[in-house]
Amino acid sequence: MHLPDGLMPVEMALAGYAGSGLLAAISLSRIKHLPDPSALVPRAAMLTTVFFAASLVAIPVPPTTVHLMLAGLLGVMLGWFAIPAILVGLFLQAVLFGHGGLTTLGLNGLILGPPALLAFWLWRAAGRRWPDVVAVCAGSGAVVVALFIFAALVLAGMPVALDARAEQTALWAFMLAHVPLVLAEGLIVLVVLRVLRRTAPQLLPHG
Amino acid sequence: MAKLARSPVLFSARARLIVAFVLAFGFASVQSLLMVPVLVAIGATALLASGMIGHNLARLRGALLLAAAFLLVLPLISGQTEIAGLGPVTLYLEGAQAGALIAGRLLAIVALILALLSPVSPFDLVAGMRALGVPALMADLAFLTLRYMEEISGELARGRLARLLRGGKTGWRALPDHADLLAGSLIRAQLRSEQLWAAMRLRGYSAGLNTPVAPLGPFDWACILGGSVLALAIFWLDRSI
Repeated sequence: MHLPDGLMPVEMALAGYAGSGLLAAISLSRIKHLPDPSALVPRAAMLTTVFFAASLVAIPVPPTTVHLMLAGLLGVMLGWFAIPAILVGLFLQAVLFGHGGLTTLGLNGLILGPPALLAFWLWRAAGRRWPDVVAVCAGSGAVVVALFIFAALVLAGMPVALDARAEQTALWAFMLAHVPLVLAEGLIVLVVLRVLRRTAPQLLPHG
Repeated sequence: MAKLARSPVLFSARARLIVAFVLAFGFASVQSLLMVPVLVAIGATALLASGMIGHNLARLRGALLLAAAFLLVLPLISGQTEIAGLGPVTLYLEGAQAGALIAGRLLAIVALILALLSPVSPFDLVAGMRALGVPALMADLAFLTLRYMEEISGELARGRLARLLRGGKTGWRALPDHADLLAGSLIRAQLRSEQLWAAMRLRGYSAGLNTPVAPLGPFDWACILGGSVLALAIFWLDRSI
């Protein structure tokens, strides 16, 4: 779920860079206050690599195949590191694979970053008490929030000459087409967090 | 241009990134349909001159499909002025114009980015980003992600193949299996990261991996100037049409 180059007005693309830059600055400042942040870099990098590699795999969810977004899981496992990890992933996808966009990198960071942080806060607030419910909410909820941000940005950025009602209908169709991804991400995050809670609880912010 | 693309020593990754960003934003600012052929011509020329046509065309496939989708869908769903009708299907002028503009900008930008950046190794690109002021932590994340990407992708692919060979489920029923595989990869990644951190400390890692930054050469400055002038010319032409 990426905004491609050429779709959004240049003013919005620049505003996206400003927004993502602010989000990255806040995240980096929070990371700096963690005890021994350098020691966390290799762990964050390794997990980022796994998420990046897993998101490139097409998973069959009939009637189509989906690429997992994994923003919720990324948020739960990486916390504040999720924002730099997402921005790095988006940059590498744009320059290595031509996915997403270079001008829209900031906006794409705003589509994926906040849902990851919401998942992180949700897990931190209620993950210990209701781990399974929170896992599904973090996985599926992150996709739903990202879809709404995506739709809001597209509605704000599309040319005025276009028919607003048709635009909204197309966006609803796009969002409905992502229902399989919403369900798949909820299930994936539930299973992953269950396995990690049993076998490697040290990987989670709290076991 | 071919010479530029094949001479990473002359045209550094940092200068390429600056030119790519400046021109991409210049292209993205175009609002007149009359400028689309100019953008596409520049993108196509850059792609041809990059000397990696086959490689870049393969990576352009996604953008081509997306551009085709914009060209096909927008005229059908949006606009007021009818230009053609076939039974219940009507094509609208405004949608067609918006589709052509978006598709043209998209293809030109992606072609240009691929032409400028694909001759440079991903590690050099990340070093270039670091030299442009990207925080050390993000550059380190990118370096380490690139370093272990192939290994972990291969590991995930082997895991999927092993599950299939053992008669694993397919389709949506395989989702829990994919999740198990992902969890296994995350646990191995954690173990590997502990070894990596020990190795990094032994090599004297403190604040940022060692990424030597060479100053920009006269050729780099010339390219940056040329790219900026081209972007400004595109902007000016677009607004004056």
